Amino acid sequence: MDVKIVKEIVEMRTIDEAAKEILEKAINEGIETAWDRLEAQQPQCGFGQLGVCCNRCAMGPCRISPFEDEGPTRGVCGATADTIVARNLLDDLLVGAAAHSDHGREIVEVLLKTAEGKSQGYEILDVEKLKRLAKEYGIGTDGRSKEEIAKDLALAMLEEFGTVKNWIQFAESRPPEKTKEIWKKAGIVPRSVDREIVEAAHRVHMGVDADYVNILLHALRTSLSDGWGGSMMATEISDVLFGTPKPVESYINLGVLKKDMVNIVLHGHNPVLSMMIVKAAGDPSLVEYAKSKGAAGINLAGMCCTGNEILMRQGIPLAGNMLNQELAIATGAVEAMIIDYQCIFPSITFTASCYHTKIISTSEKAKIPGAIHMEFHPETAYDTAKEIIKLAIDNFPNRNPDRVKIPSKPVKMMAGFSYEVIKEALGGSFKPLIDAIASGKIKGAVGIVGCNNPKIKQDYGHVTLAKELIKRNILVVETGCAAMASGKAGLLLPEAADMAGEGLASVVRSLGIPPVLHMGSCVDCSRILVLLADIAKEMGVAISDLPAAGAAPEWYSQKAISIGAYFVASGVFTVLGLPPKIMGSPNVTKLLTEGVEGVVGGKFAVEPDPVKAADIIEAHIEKKRKALGI
Amino acid sequence: MKTVFVRPERCIGCRHCEIACAVEHSRSRDLFGAFFEEPKPSPRIHVELGVEFLTFPNKCRHCEPAPCMEVCPTGALYRDEETGSVLVNYDKCIACAMCAMVCPFDIISFKKVWHVNFLKTVNYKCDHCIDRQREGREPACVEACKTGALVFGEVNEIIRSSRKDFTLRTTKALEGEEAPELPEGIVAFREIMKKVAHLGPLG
Repeated sequence: MDVKIVKEIVEMRTIDEAAKEILEKAINEGIETAWDRLEAQQPQCGFGQLGVCCNRCAMGPCRISPFEDEGPTRGVCGATADTIVARNLLDDLLVGAAAHSDHGREIVEVLLKTAEGKSQGYEILDVEKLKRLAKEYGIGTDGRSKEEIAKDLALAMLEEFGTVKNWIQFAESRPPEKTKEIWKKAGIVPRSVDREIVEAAHRVHMGVDADYVNILLHALRTSLSDGWGGSMMATEISDVLFGTPKPVESYINLGVLKKDMVNIVLHGHNPVLSMMIVKAAGDPSLVEYAKSKGAAGINLAGMCCTGNEILMRQGIPLAGNMLNQELAIATGAVEAMIIDYQCIFPSITFTASCYHTKIISTSEKAKIPGAIHMEFHPETAYDTAKEIIKLAIDNFPNRNPDRVKIPSKPVKMMAGFSYEVIKEALGGSFKPLIDAIASGKIKGAVGIVGCNNPKIKQDYGHVTLAKELIKRNILVVETGCAAMASGKAGLLLPEAADMAGEGLASVVRSLGIPPVLHMGSCVDCSRILVLLADIAKEMGVAISDLPAAGAAPEWYSQKAISIGAYFVASGVFTVLGLPPKIMGSPNVTKLLTEGVEGVVGGKFAVEPDPVKAADIIEAHIEKKRKALGI
Repeated sequence: MKTVFVRPERCIGCRHCEIACAVEHSRSRDLFGAFFEEPKPSPRIHVELGVEFLTFPNKCRHCEPAPCMEVCPTGALYRDEETGSVLVNYDKCIACAMCAMVCPFDIISFKKVWHVNFLKTVNYKCDHCIDRQREGREPACVEACKTGALVFGEVNEIIRSSRKDFTLRTTKALEGEEAPELPEGIVAFREIMKKVAHLGPLG
C-alpha cells in the first residue's frame, strides 16, 4: 500500500503516537487488527444497534421495525420494542456484572485458601486493611491471627454471593444514608451478588418480565450488586493480598518493550495471576536463565486492567489499553503474552501466529484455540508462574531481529491513587477537597472510565474529554482503558497541571499530584464509589447532590454497561460516548436519559463529541453547585 | 412494470435482504442447506456503507433500455417481456464484463453459479426473482425487508402513495402539528452516529 495512504489510515485510527508507528508496521506486514474487522463488518445490523432484535428463543429470532407504520411491532411471543430493548439491556448488564463479580469471587477464594495455608506464593500483605474490613463485617480481630481473621472475612464475603443472608455489607455500611433511602424507596437495594445476576437471567426468559420499567429497575439493582458487591470485594481483597496502591511512577505505551530483554506482556484483568508472575520474574535463577539465552533480563509489561493492577501496586510499565493488544505482538518483540480473562481478542493467537510470540492461557474459563494452556491454581501458583516465565525465555532465541520495531519514547506517568491515598494526601479528611469545591477552585469531579472502541479514534474521546474538564477546573479520576489513554497523553503527571484551569492547577500543585488521577482497574471503579460516598457523607447529602459526573467516552463492553448503571443508580450523571443498544425504544431511552433521575438521582446521556460532553457535564456540575448553594 | 423500489431513509443496514437473496438463488433454497453448497450462493443485492453510517441497498434496476443488454456481444442478456426483467442466459455469458463497464449502478460482477455445470464464471446479477414473480410472489429481498426500505410494485403507484404522505405531512406542519417523516428514535440514533462517524476511522 502507498505510504501516504497507510499514514492516513493510521491517523484515522488512533492518537497514540507509539501505536501509530506499530500500526503502520502491522498494515505493511498484512496483520489484521480490530480496525480492519470493524470495516469488514460494515454495515452493522440496525436492528441489533437499536436493540430491537431478540434472538433468545426458538420461536424467533424476531425483530421489531423501528418504523411504526411498517413491519412487525411484536415478536412471536408478543414482546414489544420496549420489552425487547429492556430485556436485551438487562442481559448485557448481567453479563458485565457477572464478569466483575466472578473475578471478585476468585480473589476472595484466593484469600480463603491463603488463610487456610493452601495457596502457594500469596500472603496477606495489608493487615491494617484486613482488620478494617473485618470490623466492617463485624468480625472480631482482637488477639486473632491475620489468617483467622482472613478466613472469617473470606467466608463472610462468599456468603454474600449466596441467598441466605440477603444483604450486602458494603452496600449497607458505605453509601450515605440519603442514597440508601433512595434505593429502599425504589426497591433496588441489592440482596446478593449472584442472586441479582441469576434473577436477571431468569427475568429475560420468555414469559417472565415484560414491563420495561420493572426490568430496568432490576437492572439497576443488579448493577448495584456489582459496584457495591462483586467489584468492591475484588478491589478490597486485592488490596489485602497485594497491598493497597500508593503513588508510583512508571511508563506507558508500546515503547516500554525492550529490545534486548525477554518481553512478557500480561493481559487480562485478574491480579491473582499477574501479581504472581511479577513475583516470579524477580527470581534470580530465572534472570540468570534469561541471560543464558542471550537476553539482558526479563521485562514485564501490562496490558488492559491486569496491567493496571500491577502498575498500581508494583509500578510495572504498561504497554497499553485494549486496542494496543495486537500491536504489542506486531512489534515482533514479545516472547509471550500471558492472558487471564476479559477483553482478550479471540483472534490474538492468529495475530501471534504471524510472529514468534506465544500466547499462554491460564484460566479454565478462558481458553483460546492456538494458545498454550498452563492452568493457574492458587495451590501451585508460584510454580506455574515460574514455568510460564521459563517458557517465555525459551522463546527468546526464536525472535527475528529483522522484524522487530519498538517505538522509542515511552511516556512517564504517575498512578496508585487509591481511595486511601487520596484521603491521606488531603490530610486524612475530605474537608480540604470540599472546601476547594465550595470556594470554586475546583468546580467538581468527574470519573472517566471504560474501554477503547475502534468506532472512535483510539484515546481521542478519553483524552479530549479529560483535557476539556481539567481546563474547566474539574478534577478527573480515572480507571481502566481511560486512565491508560490519559497516561499515554501525559495527563497523569503533576506537570499536566499546566493544562488545567488556574483553580484546579493551584490545588493539585500544592498537593504534588496530577490533575487526572489513576485510580486503578475497571473493578476499581468501586474506589470511585467509596470516594463519592465519603464526600457526600461528610457533607451530609446524597451522592446525587454532589457536583460530580461519570463518563465512558469509548466504551464497548457489557462490563461498562454495568458500571454506567451502578454510577447512575448511585446518583451519578453519566455520559456515554456511544449509544447503548436502546434507541429502538423511545420509552426506554426516555426513561434512562430523563425519568430515572426522579427515581435515583442519576441519569444517562449520550454524546460522542467529547467537547460537547464536557459542556453538558459542566452544565450539570454548575446545576448541582447551585442547588448546594455554592 | 413492477419494480423493487428503494426507500433508502428506511434502510438500517441489517442485510436481511442479502441473506434472503443468497438463499433464494441457492440450489436448495434453504438457509441451512445453502451454507453447505458449492459454489456458495451469493447475494445479488448489496447493502454497503456510505457516509455517516448510512446504507443503501443497491441492485439491478432492470433498466429500459438496458445499457448492459445493448453492449452484450453474445446476446446473453435478454428481457423477459412479461415482467420486464433483464435476465442472463448463463450458457451464452462469456464473462467479458462489457455489461459491468456500462452498468450505471455498478452492480454486475462475476462468479460461478450452480445453474451452469462447467467451470466458468458468469454475470450473476439480480434476476428480479423471476421464478417467484411467476408464482405471484414478491422478490425475496422485499419479503425479507421489515422496515419498508424495499417495496415491490408499480413505480407510479408507489410514488403516488409517498406523494400523498408528503402532502399530509406538509399540511400538518402548516397547521403546526408535528409530522416527522421518520420516528424520533431513528432520527436521534442517526444524529448520534453521524457524530461517531466523524470521530472514528469509518467517517
